[in-house]
Amino acid sequence: MHPDSAALTVRGRLALTTASFVLMVVATMSLGPLIAGGGWWWLCAFVSAGVFFGGAGLRALRVPAGLVPVLEGVVLLLLLTLLFGGSTSIAFLVPTPDTFAAFGELFTGSQRTIAQQTVPAVAVPALNFALALGVGALSIMLDLLVQIARVPALAAVPALVPVLIPGFLIESGVDIPVLVATAAAYLLLLRVDVRVMRRARIEQGDDEDVATVAAPKRVPVASTLGASLGVAATGLVVASLLTASTPSISTSLLLGNGSQGALFARGVSPFLDLGRDLRRPEARPAFRYLARDGDRPNFTLLTLDSFEGDVWAVTESPVDGDNTVDALGAPEGLGADVETSEHPIDVLVNEVRTTWLPVPYPSTRIEGLSGSWYWDDGPLTVRSVDTNTAGQRYEVTRLEVEPTVAQLRAAGDPRSVDPRFLELPDEVPPIISETAARLAGPAATPYDAAVAIQAFLRSPDFEYSTEAPVEEGYDGGGFEVIAAFLEAKSGYCVHFASTMAVLAREAGIPSRISVGYTSGTPTPERIDGVQRVEVDSHDLHAWPELYFEGVGWVPFEPTPGRGTVPEYSRPGAGQAQTSVLPTAPSSTAPSTGRPELDPDRGLAGGATDPLQNEAPLRAAVLLVVVLALLLVPAGLRVLQRASRRRRVRLGRGAADAAWDELSATAGDLGVAGIGATPRVFTAFLASRPGFRDAEALAALVRLRDAVERARYGPASDLATGGDEQRAANAAVGPRPDAALLGDLDSACRALTRDASVRDRVIAVLLPKSLADRIRRASGVRTADGA
Amino acid sequence: MSEVPFGGRTGPHDDALDDAASVMPIDEVGVLAARVVANVETVIAGKRDAITAALTVLLAEGHLLIEDVPGVGKTMLAKALARSVGSTVNRIQFTPDLLPSDVTGVSVFDQASRRFEFKRGPVFSNIVIGDEINRASPKTQAALLECMEERQVTADGTTYRLDLPFTVVATQNPVEMEGTYPLPEAQRDRFMARVSMGYPSAVDELAMLSTRETSSPLDRLDEVITLDELRGMIRAVRHVFTSQPVKEYAVELARATREDRQLRLGASPRATLQLIRAAKAHAAMHGREFVLPDDIDALAVAVLAHRLVPTSRAVGSHDRDSGPLIDAIVGRIIAQTPVPVGSARRN
Repeated sequence: MHPDSAALTVRGRLALTTASFVLMVVATMSLGPLIAGGGWWWLCAFVSAGVFFGGAGLRALRVPAGLVPVLEGVVLLLLLTLLFGGSTSIAFLVPTPDTFAAFGELFTGSQRTIAQQTVPAVAVPALNFALALGVGALSIMLDLLVQIARVPALAAVPALVPVLIPGFLIESGVDIPVLVATAAAYLLLLRVDVRVMRRARIEQGDDEDVATVAAPKRVPVASTLGASLGVAATGLVVASLLTASTPSISTSLLLGNGSQGALFARGVSPFLDLGRDLRRPEARPAFRYLARDGDRPNFTLLTLDSFEGDVWAVTESPVDGDNTVDALGAPEGLGADVETSEHPIDVLVNEVRTTWLPVPYPSTRIEGLSGSWYWDDGPLTVRSVDTNTAGQRYEVTRLEVEPTVAQLRAAGDPRSVDPRFLELPDEVPPIISETAARLAGPAATPYDAAVAIQAFLRSPDFEYSTEAPVEEGYDGGGFEVIAAFLEAKSGYCVHFASTMAVLAREAGIPSRISVGYTSGTPTPERIDGVQRVEVDSHDLHAWPELYFEGVGWVPFEPTPGRGTVPEYSRPGAGQAQTSVLPTAPSSTAPSTGRPELDPDRGLAGGATDPLQNEAPLRAAVLLVVVLALLLVPAGLRVLQRASRRRRVRLGRGAADAAWDELSATAGDLGVAGIGATPRVFTAFLASRPGFRDAEALAALVRLRDAVERARYGPASDLATGGDEQRAANAAVGPRPDAALLGDLDSACRALTRDASVRDRVIAVLLPKSLADRIRRASGVRTADGA
Repeated sequence: MSEVPFGGRTGPHDDALDDAASVMPIDEVGVLAARVVANVETVIAGKRDAITAALTVLLAEGHLLIEDVPGVGKTMLAKALARSVGSTVNRIQFTPDLLPSDVTGVSVFDQASRRFEFKRGPVFSNIVIGDEINRASPKTQAALLECMEERQVTADGTTYRLDLPFTVVATQNPVEMEGTYPLPEAQRDRFMARVSMGYPSAVDELAMLSTRETSSPLDRLDEVITLDELRGMIRAVRHVFTSQPVKEYAVELARATREDRQLRLGASPRATLQLIRAAKAHAAMHGREFVLPDDIDALAVAVLAHRLVPTSRAVGSHDRDSGPLIDAIVGRIIAQTPVPVGSARRN
């Protein structure tokens, strides 16, 4: 049993608890820049208070010390049940198996939401749960360190966790005022600890102990100040280093894409996913839907709007918490005179697991979803921050837009749309610009150009094939791939769609690519007289959407044999007067069948993985983080060493500090736990080869004598000792502290000499003595005999 | 702060030891002790531990119990020690028919002066060797033990103080128990320490054969320190400092023996007191003016083991000789008791 931990009074412990609580909640504030709103912080504070003061109450009831952390865990569980258990619990406090199932869902949901959201994140329930759980666990750990292990200095470790997180995720890192406040709270804790310990000693101790306290040999306040400033500085340095090395890291980039295997989880490699899914030997069911009025729309998952030459990508935008799906935004650019009609569609997602919801574009509202779903401004794509599509059943109201050819042809310059939909990299391959010029040149209007491009791609020259025409890494829509595709005239929807989109931009028409599903295959099964339509992984599709002023985004279908060619985009549709494209063949009939897909003809795709560009960055960030974490013990050890050496230099408990440092060094090198007392330990060390050197041995013996005298010698010796006693002690009396420092160095050198290189490296990176310090609190004998 | 001297022993002749005016420097105590040990070692080769323990007890003003088989040099040790320090020595061979007055002395009627005159018994000397103490009747044992505790002899209403230092070195044979009166626990408790001599090594035994061929080596043994120097050493030992953590450690060890599941009887408070005294002597002999936990550790078996009684379950398969078992238990208790850290330490 640690002699001190029993000595603390209830009041002293309560003061420590309060200081710990303050430290925890102040440190939690560091997460502020990451999470929108402030409710989450009050929640964390509530949970933290429950854990800390619950623990304090348990101690006041004289619950055995070892049991308190366990019971604090129970308190945490009760609080989580109260806050998140809801109807699954009994009386909001007693968890049932269902509660744990709900916790499991919340936890996985939290992982997803952490992976999917960008900062500042919306504090969805799953995120709140993760925060409450994390802060609760950190509180228990902090309490354990302060109250049971009695190493309040190490309280910095759990407190640093929330402080460090923002540094990983956002450029500015943690707010400086919060960092300063955290350091202040840490100092306060140390200060309270010193006072509480002093009081405890005075109350229980006899005269000698009081005398000891009066002569301040205990924690020098300056030393704790230095240590905490050191911790704060370390935090600052680490945070700013991370900030500097990670220009714009989103949560997901750091933590990885939490929903591994999910389709289009982040929209970073949609073409890859699409190609892979199309080549899947057996179609995997995706979802099914019932449309009472026979509507057969395409379902959009996500929309790729930015083209950088190599890859089509989604422009990252944070989720807007106001964009709830009960009322989606109005379609961009849709004019009032364009005919529209609403079609309700019931969708049941069974297999597919993605955070993007398959919805037709445009839709007006979605009902019946579980979890938190938000729509994106512009593409009206719908995504979730805490759940996925698996098992969702919802009714989406599709807004069918039926522009006339005249309206499309009448569209003027695309003024009302973001110019990014027209952006192309500078280096356009000649074949692309030539093709665009050849097709769009004769066209009178952008609409005619679009129809010409679609007709060109649907001409018999082009064939649909998932067997890519060119080299590996064809699953893409970059310039090189498009150029190769225009040469080979063979590819699948990705190529057709990206080619048309690029050609359209080249011709001055804003374009984007929708990725999703075609309308699927009707089944014989009827529910309430409505035919059920099955959509599976072979229905995955990509198609271009072009923007026409006054009409908005209009889909086209350049892929032969896939999807449905919209009425307005057929050459000759609604036009009798001029044939813009006399050579255009009549388009193939809308096909409900799918092209044959040979499972064995799969492409060895993946070489143009867009992730590749980010992978090194991500690896570098992870490396820095891991390195920083690995260096934490070493850093703490360095601080500890500096603090002890200063105590030696200043003569505050010099012998003790020197001996502590020596045994810690020995412990780091794996030479600990042998003896109980300085004398025994010295005898053990002296048998090592490093101490065959007489000078090192003498230094070791002097250190031993000094610490023995300091610990067990008459106190008067050190301060005021009588003359004759001083004379008697001259041989081994108190030594100048500078010499003590020299002896310490000499002995440590001898120790290090003996150690292998491997042991020395371990000693620096993973100093065992830090762990010993914690173990010592439990009363196990270690080298320095505590 | 000064140590409390032995209780009740405040008579006039204590001056010899209580004179605090000039305390012998602690280094000198170490030097003299080393000289004595070396001197005794010329007679009893290879028994440094037993010699050191005996000298420790002498300096700590305790009494020593030597348990061993006959003929290993128990008496030789006591005599050699006595001769080396220039003190007087008497030997009592205990037998069942020995009377208390044979130990303490007897009053005889002096025809000339027509008065009873007290004839001092063998107990009146600095070192008293009680051979085979377990052979004496309990009554006689008790007489000796009273002398040990009180350091005085009372006969016919007159109290005679013993010369100081006064140390009893009693021996007993742990093997031959037939017809003996084993010392009860209460009386064993009066001995500060118990040691065993053990058989000499073959080399030492061979060397002994050649040195003892012609004469007793005791005859050649010099007095290396005077009795006054011995008294000075004892005074110095009394002034050895014992810090609070070390005292706590001794108490903790004693408490541990009382709570140990393998022990039926733990150490008495007297044992704790004597442990500290012995540790002070031990520290002084090593030229140190304060006690270390190491001193306690070094003496714990010698001072505590003979007072402890193991439970019958713990004895179990061990034969009658439970000595090694208790030594092991004490060793375990030492290993399990955390060494205290000085009061100057933080945390």
